[in-house]
Amino acid sequence: MEVKMKKTVSILAMLSTIILGAEVIVKGSDTMLNLTQRLAEAYSNVQPDVTVSISGGGSGVGINAIINREVDIANASRRIKSKEISAARANGVDPTEIVIALDGLSVIVNNKNPIKQLTVQQIGAIYRGEITNWNQVGGPNKKIVLYGRQPNSGTFVFFREEVVKGEYSSAMRQMNGNAQIVEGVKADEGGIGYVGLGYIKNVEGIKPLAVAKKVGENYISPTDEARVRSGDYPLTRPLYQYTNGRPKGIVREFILFELSPAGQKIVEEEGFVPVTQNYIERNNSILQE
Amino acid sequence: MRTKIILTALAICALTGFALEPGETELEHNGWYRYTNQSSALKLTDPTVSRFSLERGYLRFSHQWVPAFFTKMTVDIFSSDKYPEGATVRLKEAYADLSLPFVRDFNFTAGLQKHYFGLIYSWDYTHPEKELADEQGICASADYGLTVNGYLPSGLGELQLGIYNGEGYKYAGKYVNTSPEFLGNIRLTPFAGVALGFSVFTNSADAALYKNDKKGRITEAGNIFYMNADTANTSRLALAPSLKLAFGPFSILGEYLGYSYTRKFSYYQINHDTSGNIVDSTLVQKQKDYQMTGLDLVPMITLAGRKIEVFGRFSMWNRREQSGDSMSLNKDKSFVRYGAGANYHFVRREKGKPGLIFQFAWTRTQPKNSELKPTDVLLAQVRFEWSTVITKPSL
Repeated sequence: MEVKMKKTVSILAMLSTIILGAEVIVKGSDTMLNLTQRLAEAYSNVQPDVTVSISGGGSGVGINAIINREVDIANASRRIKSKEISAARANGVDPTEIVIALDGLSVIVNNKNPIKQLTVQQIGAIYRGEITNWNQVGGPNKKIVLYGRQPNSGTFVFFREEVVKGEYSSAMRQMNGNAQIVEGVKADEGGIGYVGLGYIKNVEGIKPLAVAKKVGENYISPTDEARVRSGDYPLTRPLYQYTNGRPKGIVREFILFELSPAGQKIVEEEGFVPVTQNYIERNNSILQE
Repeated sequence: MRTKIILTALAICALTGFALEPGETELEHNGWYRYTNQSSALKLTDPTVSRFSLERGYLRFSHQWVPAFFTKMTVDIFSSDKYPEGATVRLKEAYADLSLPFVRDFNFTAGLQKHYFGLIYSWDYTHPEKELADEQGICASADYGLTVNGYLPSGLGELQLGIYNGEGYKYAGKYVNTSPEFLGNIRLTPFAGVALGFSVFTNSADAALYKNDKKGRITEAGNIFYMNADTANTSRLALAPSLKLAFGPFSILGEYLGYSYTRKFSYYQINHDTSGNIVDSTLVQKQKDYQMTGLDLVPMITLAGRKIEVFGRFSMWNRREQSGDSMSLNKDKSFVRYGAGANYHFVRREKGKPGLIFQFAWTRTQPKNSELKPTDVLLAQVRFEWSTVITKPSL
């Protein structure tokens, strides 16, 4: 009886989608912008009657939009804050978390820079403004130019908490997005930046640094997918999507597509890492009907 | 002593701030352009008030020096009939905010800041009129003081503890009492759609606006030297449980208010002889208890993709005053209020976008003395709000 009911509801939902046409609105993280755009394009081939609209603005902007019921999905490269959960609940919104991919946040330098690896402590000291010349970390006598994101970016917050562990140097250039950081470092021999893994794939003029947790430990490249997947790479982070309550209808269908083998293949093609078993299990418990 | 603590805290915050290199500055402006029509029993063409005004003209400067240190100053430039120029300016906020070490999501705030009581500090003027505690003078939305404020883990809610002047942001200097106000506020959001709050503040006395510090006397010409009564509201205690329910496009916001104080006052009573000549004066000291209760409810529905908000308003206010051994209802100052209105958002405020809202509201206030006519207020208001981040030029 229950199964029959569920089937009827699903068929009705599908019919209304076909007849009325439907839209899934996604907003937030710039790191996830290209990835979700590709996923939306691919989904439109599977479900031509569903439009998935994607926009960026930063994780904070996306989370704010889900709190205010303006979007169906918020993309976030950082976890939702306690203050934001409280504001959402007061507004009748139940922020529910899905992990759609993993990212190895990549520290990049100009190709002409001979530096190949740094520890998290060294990168932190560089971004705090305590190390200002490449020769202090074994490189050439050249001033370090810092490129980073703006405070509404989830990447800005993640990097500050995990690497900087203090305050960013006021000399850091706050860029609008990952692509702008890549362009900045590409044009600047003294430049250093941090971007999502998806933004370094097939890009010339820059290179990602191998990173070690501390001196004496192994240096791991973010391009080593297995080490990002296992969490050995020190700057591995989940990429989140938030919905209002358990996803339903076309929102659920779109997320299921993102997590399907076809969706996770796109995740890989975009340079990110597919979700691991622990996240798959957690996602399944949320997505089950 | 308390003033010294506040000044020292402010000085430390300011010096720490100036010692740091500048971070991100935000400039914000809120302009509320309002038409008000007030009449008795909805006689719109024979109003007691009919005026256009700049109800609010906030200019706000805030600076995030580093993630752990933030400062803000807000001035309000608004229409006022107190000055021949027709406008005035007042300080609304001026504080420094410092993240507490070892306590995640909690800050220490010093200066003229939010007064975390009931719904007053989070009242966003979805209904264009003031929240009941603010309107009835229980407290102001901002005050000078020190607070520890922040968010509980896992989105469970928020908590604030504070010590304030207790007079609100409009009073300073000689109008400030010598006994501080203590405040506690908690708001819990255990699950989606429910926010439960409870606030309390108390202080032993507010400022005595009229000081009877001279003995009554008679001038040589025989005129009585008139003295104002010496007054102070003592043992002030206010409580406010509050509730917000929000499900889909529907929400209801409500609070119950309980407020009591004892007014102490003194005056010189003129003594006469048997012939009726003034011979002397005697200092008379009296006191009277006051108890107020109130209820404020704002149901709302959001329509058309959040473009339109339609709301109602129901308020109740009972003012009881001591009369002998009983507390009798002052029917002239107690009332029931109801009304409705709507907001239209031309542009919703968000990052990089200004907000432009048209607001319309009607309220009727019926005093509990049925011989008094109701007062109707019609408000139409355009709110324009914007902000911009002033970033450092890249060198």
